[in-house]
Amino acid sequence: MIDLIAQSLFSGLLSGAYYALIALGLALVFGTMRVINLAHGELVLLGAYVSYTAEERLGLDPLASLPLALMVVIAANMVVYYLISLIKKDRELNSLILTFGIGVILTNAMLMIWSADIHSATTPWYHDAVILFDTLFAMQAELVFAGAGVVLVGAVWWWLEKTWYGRALRAVASNRDAAKLMGVDPRLTEILSFAVAGLLATVSGLALYTAKVIQPSLGHNLTVKAFIITVLAGIGSVPGVLLGAVLLGVVESLTVTIASSALQELAGMVLFLVVLLLMPSGLFGRAKRRG
Amino acid sequence: MLLELDGITVAFGGLVAVSNVSFTMAEGDVLGLVGPNGAGKTTLFNAVSGLVRPTQGRARLLGRDLIAMPIHARARAGIGRAFQVPQPLHELTVRENLIVASRFATGRIDNERIDEILDLLKLGHKAEAEASTALALTEQKALEVAKALATNPKLLMLDEVLAGLETAGKRAFMHTLDAVRARYGLALLIIEHDIETITRLCQRVIVLNFGKLIAEGTPEHVFNDSEVIRSYTGGEAA
Repeated sequence: MIDLIAQSLFSGLLSGAYYALIALGLALVFGTMRVINLAHGELVLLGAYVSYTAEERLGLDPLASLPLALMVVIAANMVVYYLISLIKKDRELNSLILTFGIGVILTNAMLMIWSADIHSATTPWYHDAVILFDTLFAMQAELVFAGAGVVLVGAVWWWLEKTWYGRALRAVASNRDAAKLMGVDPRLTEILSFAVAGLLATVSGLALYTAKVIQPSLGHNLTVKAFIITVLAGIGSVPGVLLGAVLLGVVESLTVTIASSALQELAGMVLFLVVLLLMPSGLFGRAKRRG
Repeated sequence: MLLELDGITVAFGGLVAVSNVSFTMAEGDVLGLVGPNGAGKTTLFNAVSGLVRPTQGRARLLGRDLIAMPIHARARAGIGRAFQVPQPLHELTVRENLIVASRFATGRIDNERIDEILDLLKLGHKAEAEASTALALTEQKALEVAKALATNPKLLMLDEVLAGLETAGKRAFMHTLDAVRARYGLALLIIEHDIETITRLCQRVIVLNFGKLIAEGTPEHVFNDSEVIRSYTGGEAA
């Protein structure tokens, strides 16, 4: 039993790093534009399907398809940005309907193009088992993308904290009008945040395709997870996203081990409600922000 | 001319907040903008700095059309603005606030100027403190002016930056503004309720009432104008 718990904690940690990748893209866009991109999960899937097509048709290794997947997903996210920027009134609220609609369209487009079949990477290397400390099991792909998750979250954190474009992004998030009056062009920071969110979504898509399975209707579920993590973290906290994601990963994984896999999704929702009841501004959120 | 406003009108639906206002400012001018609450002073500031779009009229800065420019372009063109309610960038230090302004409004980080501004505004000892939490009210107001100065403005617009300060604080702040002007030679456009402050700082005053420009001239002339007195007291001139 101890071994099982240790294994599920470990698996939870690995899932957490991957969840963090998905959630950070959503959190970044919300931070700069106060827009919740409900099509974010579908963009993750889009990246996964580009990788699937490249492997299936061209025989490309999933990692080698990264540049192609990046181009497709970032281009798609630019279209999402363009459509959102056309909303002049009550953008925060109206963009919910817009991005929900984009998500539905993307899901159905993927269903038409790739059918409802379930796919996963066929390059065997990704599914090879790695045994750590004699007891802990993981797939190569899980370790690769957990590592990528931690590195990318760290890189985004560094970018936001230490570079001037990152600071401009935080300035716009903190006080849009004041930032504009200081010469910051909000469009530039918004486009940057959508591009980086696209990059994170693509890498998450590759992780999904190689370590798990893909199916066109999964997008919505991914968005919900990303949203839960963003709120758990406390809006605007990058380390919070990583910890919230790991918390969700571990809770889900323990639920599967101790209770049943049928309760996995419920566990995340219960965690979400409990944290919100006890800490309304999230684990790392500030009590008050001016927008 | 530094700033030329020609027939600026701002309407929100049926409400005309600013009606056909025209005036000009030369480089180095200090112009006071006064009027009762709701007269349209802040709306006029918003129209010049870009936060609202005028329904009609033209605004030029050194001959360049301001209305066509987005807010950040106006900041780069030389419009600096300090708000009545301080608006620091959260999670950044005082110095970082100025660096963002310098970097994005002028294209490069002018550390020498930033140090000079911190010194002039007496913020040197708080330079590394977090801007949104560690400052007293006077210092928050000073930071508001410092941020605008870091954008290297030709025109500095001050929206009641002295409001809420006690008399000694006001006097000290006026000395600071004198020093800023002596150093940078920039023009000031000042919204202020306190007549003593306006008389002390401004060479020229314009008065708005119900969105209309009702008087213009030296402080002595304007504050003795019967229409101005009526607009403030709501009754007959004494």
